[in-house]
Amino acid sequence: MSNAASANQLLSPELLARLERMELVSRKVFRGRMKGERKSKRKGQSVEFHDFRNYVAGDDLRLIDWNLYARLDQLFLKLFQEEEDLHVYVLIDASESMNFGDPNKLRVAKQLAAALGYVGLCRADRVSVQALGPPGRSAPVLRGRASLWKMLNYLGSFESGHNVSLSDGIKDFSIRNSGTGVVILLSDLMDKHGYESALRMLVGRRMDVFVMHVLSPEEIDPPLRGDRRLIDVEDGDAAEITINAYAIEKYKETVKSFISGIKAFCSRRSISYIPVRTETSVETIVTKYLRQRGVVR
Amino acid sequence: MSWTPAFTSTLGWATLVAVSGGILILYFLKLRREPVEVPSTYLWSQTIEDLHVNSLLQRLRRSLLLFLQLLAIAVAALALFISGMRGEVSQQSRSVFLLDNSASMQATDLGEGETRLFKAKRMIEQKIEEMNDSDVAMLVTFSDRPVTVQSFTSDRRRLRDALASVQATNQPTDILGALKAADGLANPRRSSEMGDVNDVQVAQEKPADLLIYSDGGFATVTEFNLGNLKPEFVSIGTDSVNNLAITAFSAERNLEQPTEVQAFGTVMNLGTQTIETTATLTLDGEFFDATPVSLEPGDQTGLSFSLESEAAATLELKLDLDDDLEIDNIAYAGLTPLRTVSVLVVTEGNTPIRLGLSTEKAAKICNSEFVLPAYLNSEAYAARALAGTDDLIIFDRCTPPQMPLTNTFFIGALPPATPLGPASNGQTTSETTATKSENADAAENANRDGPKGEPDPAATGLGQTEQPETGATNWSWQSPLSSVALVDVDRAHPMMRYLELYSLLIFNGRGLRGPSGSTDLMVADIGAVLVLAPRAGYQDLVLGFEIVSTTETGSTEINTNWYAERSWPVFMLNVLRYLAGAAEATGAPSHRPGETVQVRLENAIGEAKLRRVGGEVTEIRLGTSGIAEILDTEQPGNYRIEAKDELASLFAINLFDQRESTIAAAPSIEVGYVAVEAAVGNAEERKDYWRWALVAMLGVLAAEWWLYVKRVA
Repeated sequence: MSNAASANQLLSPELLARLERMELVSRKVFRGRMKGERKSKRKGQSVEFHDFRNYVAGDDLRLIDWNLYARLDQLFLKLFQEEEDLHVYVLIDASESMNFGDPNKLRVAKQLAAALGYVGLCRADRVSVQALGPPGRSAPVLRGRASLWKMLNYLGSFESGHNVSLSDGIKDFSIRNSGTGVVILLSDLMDKHGYESALRMLVGRRMDVFVMHVLSPEEIDPPLRGDRRLIDVEDGDAAEITINAYAIEKYKETVKSFISGIKAFCSRRSISYIPVRTETSVETIVTKYLRQRGVVR
Repeated sequence: MSWTPAFTSTLGWATLVAVSGGILILYFLKLRREPVEVPSTYLWSQTIEDLHVNSLLQRLRRSLLLFLQLLAIAVAALALFISGMRGEVSQQSRSVFLLDNSASMQATDLGEGETRLFKAKRMIEQKIEEMNDSDVAMLVTFSDRPVTVQSFTSDRRRLRDALASVQATNQPTDILGALKAADGLANPRRSSEMGDVNDVQVAQEKPADLLIYSDGGFATVTEFNLGNLKPEFVSIGTDSVNNLAITAFSAERNLEQPTEVQAFGTVMNLGTQTIETTATLTLDGEFFDATPVSLEPGDQTGLSFSLESEAAATLELKLDLDDDLEIDNIAYAGLTPLRTVSVLVVTEGNTPIRLGLSTEKAAKICNSEFVLPAYLNSEAYAARALAGTDDLIIFDRCTPPQMPLTNTFFIGALPPATPLGPASNGQTTSETTATKSENADAAENANRDGPKGEPDPAATGLGQTEQPETGATNWSWQSPLSSVALVDVDRAHPMMRYLELYSLLIFNGRGLRGPSGSTDLMVADIGAVLVLAPRAGYQDLVLGFEIVSTTETGSTEINTNWYAERSWPVFMLNVLRYLAGAAEATGAPSHRPGETVQVRLENAIGEAKLRRVGGEVTEIRLGTSGIAEILDTEQPGNYRIEAKDELASLFAINLFDQRESTIAAAPSIEVGYVAVEAAVGNAEERKDYWRWALVAMLGVLAAEWWLYVKRVA
């Protein structure tokens, strides 16, 4: 498959063109590793003035503000802000539960990951798009627009079925990536062990965490009726239920309670929670919803 | 109004409850759940836990499928247990259904081609369905005779089967017999006379409902007491009918021109509307003539047709219309082939008789043979008398030893005491076993009256003056010889038509007393002098005075001037026509449907075939005297009796009943001086709901299945 073809499968050329003009917004300022376009905590050589300090022996004479010396007859160094790159991690939940809905949740998650990753690549950020679980170990760290194809190839290299719990996946990710940065988690968060420990782990690593909660319409308003035996695609767990209007009502209440629980959890920990419905197009999500919520600009 | 459960036992209801309970249990234990994959049962598990809190009530309250299933069972129970509703409950537990299946019940005035009998049967069937297990009923049909199709029973199936077997007949209506059949059980008679204080009633009276399903087209019954019968008349039919009927049709040859045939018919409008149509006459199945008929209600008209035919022919007169009663739109008549009658005259010499039989008109229809009285004692006569080859035998002043099997005319003598048995004087040796047994009683009476062995003067032909007063069983002289003055003549009788007799001079004669059933045709001051009496299918005519007498010297003298009168040849012609059967020989007789037709054929014929023209052929067997009794006369039509491939006799079957053709339904009937108003025919119709309930149940089941499939899919 050609690079262009794999790109087209996830992102349309029009969307790519629009993404090139966007950038990811980080609410925190992180230290980068390389020269980039992001403000850094470090002082550097950008054009943006930061501060003055007294000259001490050994300082670079080129940084002395000669105008001040002329006025005050003291040597001061003129400091500028450093611009460094940003670490952007896009984590995709590739468990079997993501292989559901029409359109498929995992595909939507891949599209969003590609879009956000491409935004990062265009801004010279260090971008790492990776699936939770075993496929994440082979995920490349990319930089520069030309790395789009690598990213897309990686996205095309894995499918659903990696049923690791959310906390195990995050833990594995944290061990492998020690740096800080922006973490965008694309998941349905339907983990029987809970999502809380995983998110806490990310927050504890002082990451700027964005949770994109991917849900299909069939999960929010299931079309099921009658006497059913529900089988969990991840662990094969079965639940027998007579689905009638009352049961559906109860289910909806449960879903609502589940979402509001996540929202509250995220809000208390400064995690941005972004609900994503799979029936909404990726263009709309990126160019409209994510912009409104300050994920991109 | 009441419900009629299919069965009333508690077992049935218990079964119903068990079935409902079973459905509930199966519903909760329903194992067949459609497996479906979901991303996670994480959220569903929480929902299920919530539902478990009040799952039983929730299921009962929310499951539409369960409701539908229970509803289906409830509706099925409704269909089974409350199968219908009856309009009215009978007061009595016993019912007698009198069903009219006469010809008029074939009327189709109810519309849609439905006959009255069909509707009546349907109504009776409804009544049978309404019966409880303890009710009993019997079914009697009536036309001109009653038939108890089913005696009292509580078995509804037997009643239904009996009802289904009832067929329409073409016969007229007489309800009296059916009423008597119903009367037997309801009004038991005492064992002896009513006034006897020691008498006890032999059976307990059993009151019953008498349900008469008829159009009321029968004579008012007065000789009947309803007693414990509670009559109810269900009038079948409408009062606005359309019926044109042929009430008479016959054909006769012109005796002057025997090849000329006159056919006469009478057509009446017995409906309530003016009718215009045509009447078509067919001869041997081929169109012959037609004439228009236009009649106002209640009017009648006569139709006459002239045709020529020498051979036997069958005529059919048909009204070309489709009215409410079809059977009276067609009439049949037969025409026997032109033939002459054979007359044997036993006399020592009688010129007036010879002249009377040799007139121009008489000679055309009669072959006469004259023999002396001595012939009566010959074996030839005995054989001839038994063969019945003569159409008439005239005994002039003599008496045969045994009566012949044909019609006779005795002049100045009485028939023997034992007309068909052994001769009372013992002189005749020829006997037939059949006649012997039939007339045993008569022979005994004769022997009692006159000592056996005494010579019978009449047999010797010596003269009537020596005739004993009580020489015959039934025939007897009423007065001694004396002059005769005529007092009265029965002019209405065909034998006496066209006769002017008051100028007669009769010198010597005796009054006559005939057997029971005899008709006095000529009455004089000394009693009846001309008497006609029936005798086992034949007729005997006896004249109380001689025409010519023989004196003691052996010379002949005139006893009356009748021979010189104009009425004498006319009388002889009437005798030939009526008694010898010359008139009958031209036109075949007509009988009503269902009547037993008695036909006399020649003795030598052993077997014959009965063929309904255009219909089936059946074998008939003749009796010893050549008499055939034909019972299968239900269908109107021309009937031919053929022997050895030749026509032996001919007769027609026609309804010809004005009362039966008057088909407007009667508003009331009178039974035993009790007027019974017609009940409204369909007021008591049973209303069946079980079919609708069953359909509703199927509908509910279909809805339940549809819902189930929709949810599972």
